[in-house]
Amino acid sequence: MVEKLAGLKIRSLRRKAGLTQSELARRAGISASYLTLIEGNKRTVNGALLNRIAAGLGVERTTLDGSGERQLAESLREVAADPALGARSIPPASPEELVGRYPVWADLILRLYGAFQDERQMVMALADRLSGDPFLAESVHRILTGVTAIRSAAEILADQGALRDEERDRFASMIANDSDKLSATARSLVAFFDNPNVRVRSATPMEHVDAFLFETDNHFPTLEAGAEEFLAGLRPAETVEAAAVRMTGPAADTPRSRIEPSETRRFRLVRAALAPIVEAEARRLVGQHAALGSEEARELALVALLNYATGAVLMPYEPFLRAAEEARYDLDRLSRLFGVSYEQASHRLATLRRRGDEGVRFAFMRSDPSGYVTKRLPLQGLPLPRYGTACPLWPVYRAFQTPGVTIASFGELPTGDQFLFFARAVEKNPPLAGLPRHLLSVMLACPVGQAGRVGYGDGIDRKTAMIPAGVFCRLCPRPACVHRQEPSLIA
Amino acid sequence: MARARILVAEDEPSIAQSLDFILRRADFDVDLVGDGALALDMMKRQSYGAVILDIMLPGMNGFDVLRAVRAEERLAALPIVVLTAKGQANDRRTAEAIGASAFITKPFSNAEIVERIRELTA
Repeated sequence: MVEKLAGLKIRSLRRKAGLTQSELARRAGISASYLTLIEGNKRTVNGALLNRIAAGLGVERTTLDGSGERQLAESLREVAADPALGARSIPPASPEELVGRYPVWADLILRLYGAFQDERQMVMALADRLSGDPFLAESVHRILTGVTAIRSAAEILADQGALRDEERDRFASMIANDSDKLSATARSLVAFFDNPNVRVRSATPMEHVDAFLFETDNHFPTLEAGAEEFLAGLRPAETVEAAAVRMTGPAADTPRSRIEPSETRRFRLVRAALAPIVEAEARRLVGQHAALGSEEARELALVALLNYATGAVLMPYEPFLRAAEEARYDLDRLSRLFGVSYEQASHRLATLRRRGDEGVRFAFMRSDPSGYVTKRLPLQGLPLPRYGTACPLWPVYRAFQTPGVTIASFGELPTGDQFLFFARAVEKNPPLAGLPRHLLSVMLACPVGQAGRVGYGDGIDRKTAMIPAGVFCRLCPRPACVHRQEPSLIA
Repeated sequence: MARARILVAEDEPSIAQSLDFILRRADFDVDLVGDGALALDMMKRQSYGAVILDIMLPGMNGFDVLRAVRAEERLAALPIVVLTAKGQANDRRTAEAIGASAFITKPFSNAEIVERIRELTA
């Protein structure tokens, strides 16, 4: 799959650059016929050769390794598996083919699907509302009652000959009364439909932000620089928190701030002080990116970038990376060392992607107990579901069984790729009386090849305890899995 | 022949009064009741030619009244016209399943009511 995308990509970039096959082959130090095989996806392109071809084309190697395209293909595969589209099996042509040849069309299909999802959710919400809304049911009953009463009395009045005066008066006044009531019902119905309080959350802007973070590799050198600038401005012996207070004044004392965890308060305080320094740059990053198609998406991305920069101030790149390596990515230890929450530290771990000084590459996923994915950063070989719940075997769900405890496991996907997963359900907000605890499960996952640097895999025997997992049921070919929720389209 | 007595179980006073008026004018005796449990009580104590039973009744809804009536041996064959709302197909199916003799859909015409009651008491 990787090679397929690379081959198609090389051909299209070569043509775009106006190069012949023999010219590019010469630059890359291979024969033209070998390049033909590569472009035709008949040969694997390995690391060193890929570097030479990229140099020959004058592009970055990452442009060729096709990680963005792979993500696109994974999403298309997920779209194809949506039962609402009526597919009983995955189309025979691979999505990689489509992505490689017609990337713009592939992207358009995904956008169209996103828009369709939004509309579908809106329709479902409205249908739910119309069929289940007690106000509407009651109004319909009142209208029918009023109309029945008026019709019946009017028919009696119309039959004039048979009525005495006092009967006529009685039925006339009944009609007047019931008309009044009916008018009131009609007015309240109109008010009900005028009220724009049917708000359905659109999934699309958040997806655009996901795509933006994926395409930028969730690493922003200029924001890291902004954070360092902020830190350089600290006075001798001044803490980050004290500097933030000096710059923006003490944090507002609200009922909520009084009960929020100290890490949350600290994060907010620093973000407020940092915003004036990095906001222009964050806006520039957001404003120029093609993945962010709407104002709403750009606003969400801006918030994500401000949070990113705040994380970079509280957990500066170099010291945090050194500490992470030393602590073998122990999140509890890192949280204590840097005075941040488990979730803030997890987030930061997924941003340690500075070229030449990279930490372990982590995928990041955050889910609520209903399975709704509230944040996702996929990884090569580990697509995270966009439109559904992930494999129930992933620890992101198991973590809800024991909040506050990190659950780790090795898992092998049907592709044969193996990963170390670890997750913890953390309390997002202080509990409110009478309501369930607000838990979110935060999961990180890294390729098994890097798991040796991560302490969470220690003591787990990879041979015997490698869980046969999937990505999500509809695209998982494991027929015997007892956790299966719905049939597979590919088994 | 003695005039048939009709029980009208309807909690909306305007509708009940109109039904009372048109049925009396069509030579029936009429009892009005606005509560489901009371309606059941009256059916047990009185002998009615037919009953007009609204579904949305306080105390005990029309379905429950109907079920209780059909469970009584003496009342098993009592003609009961159920008033349903237009478009509430489920209500109608439920009422049919538990033994309604006929349905009249709101908003109804007076002539329709009289005609149906005449048929059932003939």
